[in-house]
Formats: sequence, C-alpha cells, structure tokens
Amino acid sequence: MDRQRRVARLVEHARSPRHRGVIRDADVSMPGGSPECGGSVVVYLKGDGNGGIAGLSFTGEGDTISQGATDLAIEKILGERMTLQEVLDFGYDGFLEEVGRDVVGSRTRNATLGLSTIKNAARRYLRERGGAVRRAG
Amino acid sequence: MVEREIAEKGYAHPEKLVTTRWVEEHLEDTQNIRIVESDEDVLLYEVGHIPNAVKIDWVEELNDPLVRDYISAERFAQLMSEKGISPDTKVIFYGDKNNWWATYALWVFELFGHTNTAIMDGGRQKWEAEGRPMTKEVPSFPKTDYPIPRRDDTKIRAFKAEVEGLLERVGRGVSLIDVRSPGEYKGELLHMPDYPQEGALRGGHIPGAANVPWARAVREDGTFKSASELKEIYEGEAGLSSSSSGDEQVIAYCRIGERSSHTWFVLKYLLGYENVKNYDGSWTEWGNAVRAPIER
Repeated sequence: MDRQRRVARLVEHARSPRHRGVIRDADVSMPGGSPECGGSVVVYLKGDGNGGIAGLSFTGEGDTISQGATDLAIEKILGERMTLQEVLDFGYDGFLEEVGRDVVGSRTRNATLGLSTIKNAARRYLRERGGAVRRAG
Repeated sequence: MVEREIAEKGYAHPEKLVTTRWVEEHLEDTQNIRIVESDEDVLLYEVGHIPNAVKIDWVEELNDPLVRDYISAERFAQLMSEKGISPDTKVIFYGDKNNWWATYALWVFELFGHTNTAIMDGGRQKWEAEGRPMTKEVPSFPKTDYPIPRRDDTKIRAFKAEVEGLLERVGRGVSLIDVRSPGEYKGELLHMPDYPQEGALRGGHIPGAANVPWARAVREDGTFKSASELKEIYEGEAGLSSSSSGDEQVIAYCRIGERSSHTWFVLKYLLGYENVKNYDGSWTEWGNAVRAPIER
C-alpha cells in the first residue's frame, strides 16, 4: 500500500469509524490522551470471562491520525480475535508499520494513543478480574 | 487596505486579518502572497486545501528536532526558500481549530522577523462552510533566496526565569493568562497514569494567573470576536488594564505554547497590547520544575 492509500485509509477510519460507540455494559472504560491537546479517546472493553474479548469500542475526538489509528487498532484486534494477553503483546512498532511511518512522521504518540489506551483497559480488566498479567507494551 | 467586515470589528491592527473572500480573490497572486496552511490535524492538507496554499507542519518544520526550541535561523531561511517565500512576501496563515496552529506558525514567523503576515479570519472551517474551492494539488514555487534572519526571542517570547521574576508584580502592571481549559487550570486533568509524556508531574497554574480558555476569543463560525466583545473578556473578566494605558505587561501560557500563541495574537494585534509575550515553555516546563510555585 503506498503512502497516498495509507493516508486515505486513515482518513476513512477517522471520518467513518466502524468501532466508534459506547458499550453500555462494558467491564472497563478507560480514558487516554489529552482532551484539548492532540486528541483523546475513551476505550470500552468487555471481556468474555475467559481471557478473550467480547466487545471493544471507543469514543473520542482529535486529529485524523489519533482517531483513525484507534479505529484501525480495534479492527485488527477484533479481526484477529486477539486475547487480552495478545493485545498486551501487540507491539507498537509493528502497529506503526501498519499505520504507516511515512504518514505518521514524528506524531507517533497520536498514532499509538488508541492502542496504548486499549492496553491500559486490558491491564485493568486483568487486574480487576484476575488472570496473570505479564508487563508488556 | 482593510476590508469593511474586518474594520467594523474595531481592532487595533485590522491589517492582521483578511477575509476568506479576500483570499479567494488573491489566489493567483503568488508573486506577492503566500497562503500557508498550518493545522493540528496534519493530514487535512492532503485531504484538500486552498488552491496555491503550501503546508507548514509545526511539529516537523518549526520545531528543532533535538532541543526543545524552534528551528535555527539558517533552517528558517531554508524553509522560506523551499516554500517560495521572500522577505517581502505577505504570508497569510489559516488552519483548523479556529486558527489555533495558524497563529502559532505566525508567532514563530514573527520571532524570525517575518512580520508581513496575517490570519485568514475564520480559518479552514469558514472556507469550507462557504463552499470555496479546495484542491489536493500541491503547488510548487521557485525557490527564493531568503537571507538568514536574526531570531529575536526578547520581544514576543517569554522564558521561565522572566516569569519567575515577574511573579511578585502580578496584578500590579503584570498579568498572566492561563489559556488552558478550566480542568487543566485547576489541576484536575493532569493525572493520566499511563501518559507521563502527556506533560507535567504537577497540576495547577502559575500563582496569580487568570484563566481565559483561548477559544473564548472566537465565534461559532471560527472568526474572531469583535474588539468590544474581546475587551469584555480580557479586561472585564481577566482584569487586564485597558490596552490604551500602554504599560500592562502580559504573558500568556498553556501546555506547550501553541494555544497561548492564539491569545498572544488576540491581545497583541486585535486589542493592541504593546507588551505581550507567549511563554512557550508553559505548563510542561513549569509543572515539572523543582520548587516552582503552584496554585490550584
């Protein structure tokens, strides 16, 4: 995928996100980022009680990179049916490659805002609901 | 020449604003005018921009990549050359978020002495709302020979030591304006445990600072409020002396100095305060400094 298409994909995910919304009975709702400066998200996570994910969504506002990349991260996590542990092991470097380093430039914090908040949500879920957590990410 | 819509708003320096219509009428005057888009959302320019506008990315192009400072004078001259800007080119800035980043870029330009600048009132939001032309085509202009300027950090930029030295005089000829949101001002929004890089170890504000969130200076449509509306806010609520008294010293700050450049623009050019500076170290410097006094 060339740069132009990666930009177009981010714009599309930011403007028409597939995974935006509140999960009313979420086990964890986790805020991340700065509301005024650079973008913020709230991630909603519902576990399946067995180390897996039953629901994952976000709300938020901010620039194309932060909002688009959050939607992309959720798409990948749900699409690959990752477990909570796999989410914690999901590396930032690999994710930035997928989003496109040439698109993100030095705004890596914006690009990983969503993923890092999802990881925080997963950590809290595992902490509160049991299950061993290996520090990762 | 000042346009009627701008003149009617009663500003001290109406020449620092142009309307969207003026910009549309001057799109082809690329010899004398350079339109510069500066956004928070860096991908917007690629989605579509004003024809013949160039992009300046505040992160990648205006900040020094290593030291927390702005680019060197040599780099600024090179950047101007690349964007086809000469010392006498009139640079019109516009951007997203009520021209937040446009005013930041303008402030940096003025540090380097490029003061032939203006803001397009209403920014990108108004241009789009009016259905004016947009393009994805990236223009290219002949490189210019821009002499290396001297950056003057003394007139419109404040450093921490200067702010410290003025603390005793806050309320007596000196005003500090904290332009962040009330939650940040009160120290409530800081603690996001997993984001140490988000800013500061301590929350609150510089003692004596008044809180006027930057965006209060703009209307719904993204244009600046009139001078009398602005006076009500900055004199009436924040307690600044009238700009006509001439001796008020004002320093604006936020988290990293970008939102406060918007307020700097309002106070300096729309209300005409002579001595107003932007403290770009802002809360990410003050809130991390050992023994810096803090109020909540």
